[in-house]
Amino acid sequence: MGMSYKEKSLIASLGATLLVFGWYFYQVFSNQMFNIGHEFTFNDIFRPIILIVILEIIIQSFLAGKDKNKEDERDALIELTSYRNGYWVLSIGVWFLLIQLLYVGSGGWYDILENSSPAFISHLLLLFFVLAEVTNFITQLYHYRKGI
Amino acid sequence: MSQQTLADKVGVTRQTIFAIEKDKYSPSLEVAFKISNVFKTPLEDVFIYE
Repeated sequence: MGMSYKEKSLIASLGATLLVFGWYFYQVFSNQMFNIGHEFTFNDIFRPIILIVILEIIIQSFLAGKDKNKEDERDALIELTSYRNGYWVLSIGVWFLLIQLLYVGSGGWYDILENSSPAFISHLLLLFFVLAEVTNFITQLYHYRKGI
Repeated sequence: MSQQTLADKVGVTRQTIFAIEKDKYSPSLEVAFKISNVFKTPLEDVFIYE
């Protein structure tokens, strides 16, 4: 059986997210590690977000014109299960950052945010948001293929 | 009866009917009753609890 509208939409959104944020975080983290080139600021966060919104509008309008189906209880159940998995990833990330922030400046081996700018910490938070979204997309695709 | 016709009568998507047939999704009681109503047969003739 061919892919449904939801599956096509999910694959397109996953691809766009991985491409846009993958490229963006590669730039951010390679800059942070090797300390070269442009210094990323908090304002830079908005660039990939605006780009992904524009891409999503294009993808959804392209797919909706082809074979949009209504959603039913199975879609709702898959979405709920997937959001729960994404929530766990986001929670772990936020707790990790909160605990790290408590130890900033302590000088211990666990102080991995030492010398990090607030903008870099904001980027780490954004990274966990993106990872949660990717987990959500992958879980949905898994349940559409393997059942729930 | 096609999957699309049954899906339209029950109020779900064709993919959901396909998933039920392939044992990849257990429908809610409401959908299960609607399917048995479409075929005019008792629920236990359409679905078996394993």
